[in-house]
Amino acid sequence: MSAREQDVGTGSSRDHQLPVASGRDTAAAVGRAALALPRLVASSTVAAVVGSIATIATPVLLGRIVDVVLAAVDRRTDVWPALTPLLVAVAAAVVVGAVLTSLALREAERLGASIAADLRERVVDRSLRMAPQTLERAGVGDVSTRVTEDVEVFTRSVPTISAVINSLITVGVSVVAFAALDGRLALAFFTVVPVYVLSLRSYLPRAAVLYAEERSRASTRSRVLLESVHGSRTVHAYGMGELQTDRVREASEAGLAAALRARRAFAGFAWTMNAAEAVGLSALVVCGFLLVRADLVSVGDVTAAALLFHRLFGPLGLLLTSFDDVQRAAAALGRIVGVARMDPPTSRVRPPRLSTATVRLTGIRHAYDDGHEVLHGIDLVVPAGTSLAVVGESGAGKTTLAAIAAGVFPPSAGTVELVDGDDPGICVDLADLDQVDLRSLVGLVSQESHVFAGTLRADLQLAKPGATDEELQAALDSTGATWARALPDGLDTVVGAGGYPLTPAQEQHLALTRLYLRNPPVVVLDEATAEASSAGARDLERVAEELLAGRTAVVVAHRLTQARACDRILVMADGRPVELGHHDELVAAGGMYARLWRTWTASGRDATT
Amino acid sequence: MKRRTPPAAATGRSPLWGPMFRRHRRPLALGYLLATTHQVCEALVPVAAGYVIGIAVATSSVPAILLGVGAILLLFAVLASAAAYGYYLIGKAAVTEAHLQRVAVVRRILGDPTVGRDRQAGELLSITSSDTQGATQLMETVGGLLASTVGLTVAAVVLLRIDLVLGLGVLVMLTVLVGGVRLLSPYLERRLSARQQAVGLSAAVASDLLTGLRSLRGFGGVAEAVRRYRTASRLSLDATVRATTSNAVVGTTSRLATGALVVLTAAVAAGYAVEGRISLAELVTVIGMATFLLDPIGHITRSVQELAVSWASGRRVAELLTLAPSETAAHDERPDGPLRLTAVVDDGLGPLSLTLAPGELLGVVTTDVATADTLSELLAGSRAPAAGTVRLGDAAVADLEPAAVRSRLLVEPHAVHLLGGSLAAALDTGDGADRQVELPAALDAAALRVEDLTGHADAAGPGPALGDIALLDHGANLSGGQRQRVALARALLADRDLLVLRDPTSAVDAVTEDAIAAGLRRVRAGRRSTAVLTTSPLLLSRCDRVLFIDADGASTTGSHADLLAVDAYRSVVLR
Repeated sequence: MSAREQDVGTGSSRDHQLPVASGRDTAAAVGRAALALPRLVASSTVAAVVGSIATIATPVLLGRIVDVVLAAVDRRTDVWPALTPLLVAVAAAVVVGAVLTSLALREAERLGASIAADLRERVVDRSLRMAPQTLERAGVGDVSTRVTEDVEVFTRSVPTISAVINSLITVGVSVVAFAALDGRLALAFFTVVPVYVLSLRSYLPRAAVLYAEERSRASTRSRVLLESVHGSRTVHAYGMGELQTDRVREASEAGLAAALRARRAFAGFAWTMNAAEAVGLSALVVCGFLLVRADLVSVGDVTAAALLFHRLFGPLGLLLTSFDDVQRAAAALGRIVGVARMDPPTSRVRPPRLSTATVRLTGIRHAYDDGHEVLHGIDLVVPAGTSLAVVGESGAGKTTLAAIAAGVFPPSAGTVELVDGDDPGICVDLADLDQVDLRSLVGLVSQESHVFAGTLRADLQLAKPGATDEELQAALDSTGATWARALPDGLDTVVGAGGYPLTPAQEQHLALTRLYLRNPPVVVLDEATAEASSAGARDLERVAEELLAGRTAVVVAHRLTQARACDRILVMADGRPVELGHHDELVAAGGMYARLWRTWTASGRDATT
Repeated sequence: MKRRTPPAAATGRSPLWGPMFRRHRRPLALGYLLATTHQVCEALVPVAAGYVIGIAVATSSVPAILLGVGAILLLFAVLASAAAYGYYLIGKAAVTEAHLQRVAVVRRILGDPTVGRDRQAGELLSITSSDTQGATQLMETVGGLLASTVGLTVAAVVLLRIDLVLGLGVLVMLTVLVGGVRLLSPYLERRLSARQQAVGLSAAVASDLLTGLRSLRGFGGVAEAVRRYRTASRLSLDATVRATTSNAVVGTTSRLATGALVVLTAAVAAGYAVEGRISLAELVTVIGMATFLLDPIGHITRSVQELAVSWASGRRVAELLTLAPSETAAHDERPDGPLRLTAVVDDGLGPLSLTLAPGELLGVVTTDVATADTLSELLAGSRAPAAGTVRLGDAAVADLEPAAVRSRLLVEPHAVHLLGGSLAAALDTGDGADRQVELPAALDAAALRVEDLTGHADAAGPGPALGDIALLDHGANLSGGQRQRVALARALLADRDLLVLRDPTSAVDAVTEDAIAAGLRRVRAGRRSTAVLTTSPLLLSRCDRVLFIDADGASTTGSHADLLAVDAYRSVVLR
């Protein structure tokens, strides 16, 4: 059982998930990021407050106009001397409000976008460099969700959050304006609060469940769609179009039902929001009526209050309907900050510069989190510049051993050390090295490789930044990747997702070439030739031989010809070493390897060359 | 498979829209009516407030204020209920229709191999997911457009009734202002789409790096990857920042326009009110209305842009749904008889004549990998030979109804795709015509032990049911060898008369390979015909016959043992 099968198959238990920052820590992290941009914080706040004041001043001044008109009608005086300054004031308020509100939104969005960029870069950095045991326990899935979905949810919510913050400020300023108009009118305005609170309290918990359900159904639907379209050749081969369409239909129906439940709940919520507006407006005119009758406020005041309230429908509606978005963004942010706050692991020792290295495994035992022990004590030395093949049946623990030897994760017990080939006094424990130092000493190619989206040049330069085209071409030639020269645009050919399709064998070829460019003294190959067909596998084996020359190597191989080419062979069964020696010795010994070899070379296959 | 209506080109109109609206005509009619009612009520809110303040509050009349508040509550009751139910109905029709179109598109893609042939998987996915949504969005857009137009008309009528000159003035100014703001919108859209793209860029880089995380950490590309991501992230940030400025410019312009309208209206209306040309209530109404009017106008403008998006999406969906079905087969009956190649010539393939005898296990070895590709395409009927015939019984494979061919012949693709969320689903390919292989036998022959898949070989009890074994992301939780064996078990379980396998054991160890070779014989030999394209001596030694095609396309047939005497053959199967 390989490490990754175990990892995904059993699912990572909750205790091992990556940290999620508490509300306070999240706020602190955002606060710190914001304080690094003091100018934006100041400009967005000032603009928002002044802009809101100006915006709110407009209806208040319009109310004054009503009063002036009333007075002029009553007294039959000329209205313009009083009206003109008011109109000028309204115009000024309009201009200031328009410019500053827009400016506030812009500054807040810039601030948010900068914070988001800062955090996403940190979270990617921490995720890629994560300590091996943390990564293995949490699983690639959890890390990937943080870096892709959570970051995207947060980044996309920045404009909404800026608008929400602006709306909050506008509502706050409005409340002050109400109080300034007349405290009693402000009380009338507050009748909306209990309605909003009741409606939010009943809606939000339900909405959280419904939207989570909707998202999860939607992601199932995307998964089924994706596999159907990518696997359409298989569907055609089996003539199972109807069956697979039914599967899509089921997933899509489930998504539809969840979406409709969420929409129904939202319709009910929207109704209560309109109800709150009705209550508020009625309370306002009744209150205004009583106050005007008692001669405590003017008709203009009531007009101003009504206009002000009507203007608040927009910001209040935005605040309430984006509650869910904001909650979701806050949850995503908590998960992002949880990872961004992790300390990047650093090497505990100064990494030695080794040109050749002996690999020494001492007392290696390994159990996965469910307590299932797969390696039961292995001591092994691979002398500098020699190669060791690891063979055995599926489930013997070969992949786990290779992963431990390559430092993918530390063993439950025991140590993996590199000893300088020239000076046995220089020695380093893999557990003491961080990702960057580790990989300048040990490189790994596993069964499944990935072609990074972008040009072939960019893919190769990941292994050797700044390498020239000549170097890259030379590496491709040395590893016999003649197909690379035949690509439509050479090194400029776009490969990876959405690019020029490479065969599985070419992808592995590329993976081996990257390691060749990287040039570490120790390499670990885990069935690096498996995905290719037999003929392709032979080519890849030749590439691997080229790569192995002069290096210390651990090679997990199911193709025994590849094992035979190695200096020594370790045969494993049930997590224990059972035989160790050169091909000829092991065949002569007549043990497990001899049996494997007989099977491999069965039926007249050449066993002499 | 349902036959579709004739192609769009024939009628010049998209055949999507008519049926789409007809299917949901009742809920849509009611929904549109309610949405329109909602917009009219929204237009009446400032009117109601104006009249209540102007008449009841200003005159302190108790009956008037009671009536006024009653009217406000009634107005809002109608407004809220119409909005909640109306938009729900329209939305429901739209998402339901999106679901129907999605399923129809998938049925088309999965039912007819020719549909996907000249389209990338990404394009097909975008049609099934975003375009079906974009096309059905039209139902919501039309509703919004209708409601806003009626709301706007009501508001205009109210204004014109208050005062003709004032009303006309407001409407003319509105048109000019909205037109002016619209001039800016292409500029804004360019910036916004640039931002979307840039945000998408950094997200795509992150997703790609994380997909390849193990690979990346394996060869030590982490430091460079972090640098690259930072570059992409900063590019995204720059584009976002640029877009915020454009946003601010457009926002300022439209806010200034609204403001100017309000100030001018207030000045003129105030003058009229002093002259006694309009009442106080009308003054309050006019001022309120001037602010309100921009909502429906803005809505109409946005809707027109959305129409264009829906239009483009709808065209892509319709194109796929109305593609002419692949040529109707000449023979509709189930083809009987063996698979027979007669004097077939094609790329890398000399004249080849071969009959796959009933119950035979045939090995096929090619020197050139491309020749094996060509041969499997010929056998699957997805490629017509340059010369010669590929027949199933008496009919050429290419002339037969594909469904009929597939009920007898299975060419398992070499690239393994497991479908379904569990192992049970992955093995289920529907009911074969006359399946005789039981599940345990198929699993056993593919050397697939369920305990291995779950990692609990030592667990007591009967072990988990196949339906409980989850396949994550098309089997990403299985190793390459395990996926290959699941695909083999699936092919054996389908139990077609004729089976063509391609390198079925390239990712398994020798012992397992040997077990599979024995299993393949056990399950199929003597009963069904099987051709295995492989270079594995373990498989080949168990074949009844081996066909060897050398680099020149010339073919030789014999047993594995006999062919080992041929140098070219030896060098291919030698490991």
